[in-house]
Amino acid sequence: MKNPLWRRIPKELRDDLGKYIVIFLFMVITTGMVSGFMVAGESMKKTYDNTFDKYNVEDGHFDLSNKATDDMKAAIEDEGVELHDMSYYELPMGRKDSDAENDTAYGVRTLRIFAPRNDVNKMCLMEGELPSEDNEIAIDRMYAVNNNIDIGDDIIVGDKLYSVCGFVALSDYSTMFQNNNDTMFDATIFGIAVVTNMEFDSLPEKNKTWSYAWMYDDGMPESEKGEKKQADKLLETVYAQAVMNDMTVETYIPRYQNQAINFAGDDIGSDTNMMKWFEYIVIVILAFIFAVTISNTLTKEASVIGTLRASGYTRGELLIHYISLPVIVTLAASLLGNVLGYSVFKNMGAELYYESYSLTKYVTYWNADAFVLTTVIPIIIMIVVNLLVVNSKLKLSPLRFLRHDLSRSRRKKAVKLPHWKFMTRFKTRVILQNIPGYVVMLLGIYFAQILLMFGLMLNPMLKHYQNDILDNMIAEHQYVLDSPVETSDKRAETYCVKTLRTTGDIDDEIMVYGIHTDSKYFPVKLRNGDVLVSDSYADKYELTDGDVLNLKESYADDKYDFKVTGSVSYPASLAVFMTEEDFRNTFDLDNDYFTGYFSDEKLTDIEGHVVSEITKDDMIKVSRQLTKSMGNTFYIVVVFSLIMFMLLVYLLTKLIVEKNTVSISMVKILGYDTKEIGRLYLSSTTIMVAVVTLIDILLSCLSIKVIYREMLIDMLSGWIPIYMAPWIYPLMFVLSFACYLVISLIQMKRIRKIPMDEALKNVE
Amino acid sequence: MGDKSFLKISGIKKSFGSGDNRTEVLRGIDFEVAKGEFCVLLGPSGSGKSTLLNIIGGIDSPDSGYISINGEKTGDMDEKTLTRYRRKHLGYVFQMYNLIPNLNVKENVEVGAYLSDNPLDVDDLLKTLGLYEHRHKLPNQLSGGQQQRTSIGRAIVKNPDILLCDEPTGALDYNTSKEILKLIENVNQKYGNTIIMVTHNDAIKNMADRTVKLRDGMIRHNIVNANKIPASELDW
Repeated sequence: MKNPLWRRIPKELRDDLGKYIVIFLFMVITTGMVSGFMVAGESMKKTYDNTFDKYNVEDGHFDLSNKATDDMKAAIEDEGVELHDMSYYELPMGRKDSDAENDTAYGVRTLRIFAPRNDVNKMCLMEGELPSEDNEIAIDRMYAVNNNIDIGDDIIVGDKLYSVCGFVALSDYSTMFQNNNDTMFDATIFGIAVVTNMEFDSLPEKNKTWSYAWMYDDGMPESEKGEKKQADKLLETVYAQAVMNDMTVETYIPRYQNQAINFAGDDIGSDTNMMKWFEYIVIVILAFIFAVTISNTLTKEASVIGTLRASGYTRGELLIHYISLPVIVTLAASLLGNVLGYSVFKNMGAELYYESYSLTKYVTYWNADAFVLTTVIPIIIMIVVNLLVVNSKLKLSPLRFLRHDLSRSRRKKAVKLPHWKFMTRFKTRVILQNIPGYVVMLLGIYFAQILLMFGLMLNPMLKHYQNDILDNMIAEHQYVLDSPVETSDKRAETYCVKTLRTTGDIDDEIMVYGIHTDSKYFPVKLRNGDVLVSDSYADKYELTDGDVLNLKESYADDKYDFKVTGSVSYPASLAVFMTEEDFRNTFDLDNDYFTGYFSDEKLTDIEGHVVSEITKDDMIKVSRQLTKSMGNTFYIVVVFSLIMFMLLVYLLTKLIVEKNTVSISMVKILGYDTKEIGRLYLSSTTIMVAVVTLIDILLSCLSIKVIYREMLIDMLSGWIPIYMAPWIYPLMFVLSFACYLVISLIQMKRIRKIPMDEALKNVE
Repeated sequence: MGDKSFLKISGIKKSFGSGDNRTEVLRGIDFEVAKGEFCVLLGPSGSGKSTLLNIIGGIDSPDSGYISINGEKTGDMDEKTLTRYRRKHLGYVFQMYNLIPNLNVKENVEVGAYLSDNPLDVDDLLKTLGLYEHRHKLPNQLSGGQQQRTSIGRAIVKNPDILLCDEPTGALDYNTSKEILKLIENVNQKYGNTIIMVTHNDAIKNMADRTVKLRDGMIRHNIVNANKIPASELDW
């Protein structure tokens, strides 16, 4: 015979449908989001990785000042490479209907125009068609989105009118870096485009950049070190050929150094860590919720459980019965969530990446990690938590269940209270009666507050970071030169810089600076022997004075040790500062070597030697890009956490009201009205919610520093120090309490509905 | 009636609390019940009769003494064995019915049937209990008497050797109580279960085969009723 207790399951679901629907939807959305974003990230990463073969991405490219001769090309190809012409034009872009004089925004848009590519660095047509007429142009999809350009629109490129016929993604421009030395990309002001071969050939050569991509005959070397070695060897030949033919090598970028190719791949998939933390927090909260409701059910059904146990039902049979509904709900939610994840949320996740990068079309790959994280682990957590709660209760004897004696507390007598007013004593007794519930509320709300804090803190933190960077810039202009050249501007000051890498588990780039001892720009007067670290470096690696930094060259074996003597405020990068003299001695450089200039004024007499110029705009590109790509996501986290808070408080206050149903009914009989009953039973909860929320805000603040560090340490190269805007704390309290007030109105309605005859029914 | 020592209660002592608060609820209880016998445990409130019933049913344990059912001592059984024993041999009826609120009458009886390898036919039993036409109703749609009949049905559907009833009429009015007592009498006669019923209602002893009167944790009287009357003739 089938166990008739199974017939309770659908009935229990129906009887508490509201609660189960809320929990179910919550789990579905969480699972869907996490699964979708993980699948999108993983699929994007795999698609990106496959791009290199599928679209035959270059092994490197170089730009020359003039067109390479056939002999030049032959000589270079003798080094074991095949060259492909990747020349381009870089032209300003405007709109047909814009007033160019007033519309300053369009004055700074630049398009890099290419001929169609069929062999190397192939194109992916994202939407529309490739150009077939000379007045047609296909532009980068993301650039089009950022500039509100649709297919069919007319744009002016250079001084010619083109009609946009399609959107493309070029496999060597997944990230819109205009110059490889830029610290950050900006796909609003710079994009790429493709025109027909004939149109390309008709453009005036004076604007042309002669660019040649190479492919190694024997394929790409295995390691980056090997790649560097081969690229350095090829550079010698390219340089020699250029000199022989009276040309200059304008740029030389092997693939491993090409930010436009590599940046996206390095970034994709790094969000997985954050998603995992999010999933763990939510599942623990939901497991809590189930545990509390099951515990309450066991208390409510104590007589029935006692009777069943007395009649011969085993603990195991009842255990399976009581945990089956949470497990069924979790399993159903996980499966549906995964279906949504692979359909709706995956597209949302992909969209986030497409909003930042010009990626080619992706293919969905099954992600076993996502399935384990969003299905297997939640079910295990649900089973374990509920098993522990239910099993510990079922260990009590049938007699204790029959007597409703489920308390673990040895206290048999009531707590003696002072001679307070009746209402105060009553409210205190309600609080004391429900202390276990309030403890659970404390823990549950703690997790919800962590999520809320995350959601609220990001945008102000990025803004603060941005302002901090600008306030602590060394100079308005930081020039990096191709060789040490003099400037006539006496306000300029030389400096040295070199990039090293950390050793150890975390791989970070560290900028090592050599600064004038009498620097007009650097905020601290340096002496020989000083090694100051930037505050962001000190924060990320928890450095203090006396710590030894072990750094190494990126592509050579040289290692360096530096003993920290202090820190300086410089949030823009992970950096080390020493005197120029110490710098030259450390890296074995000439006494007159320097890398570039600091200057608060623009230097005009060194333009031909400037490799890059770092200005305010470049410094804040990182935070601007992060705000753009992540800013909106955190509003979703805020809403989600508030819903979670409301769910927790709703369930816990519902338990308190249900526990006191008979008493509430009795006081109604005695003549108390609903408002008075609300004051008796709900006001104590109101006080406790306020207290618990305050405590949890404090606890979250302490915890978030740890969680933030763990989450970001691998995710972010560089560092953004955690910053909590002061207004966040009161805002958290106000939002949480406002949500509670909504819940308390619902509970007042519940109290109003309790009938007076509830107290008159058979009571043990 | 069968073997006189089918149920043997020997030297049962039980106390609660400790130190100054220690209370001796049972101070040495000895008696025997024959198979199929209807035995009433009578006594005022606090006399220890419910405690004794719980010990007989294996859901409480004595401080000393033992219970033997058909030669098997329940005190020698571990928790698992005791649970299995209750499953196979004992049925419980409580004052407060304790029905599962979201299962209907038939399903509540089936909760008991599931425990037995050879249960009584549920529909036949419902007819015997006068509940067949109410079988699809939920407990909150039933009167007190109907709920208690359902509870009795759940207990006897597994055809237990012993039916333990703790104040089964305690929450019912006079007429309904008599209905329940008639039903229990009918069950005893039809199925031959041994019945131990706890009550504080003196009149009920007249329908029993044996009355064991308790006071202050000790047996005052242990009387075989030679002139028992049917439940329908009881009056109080």
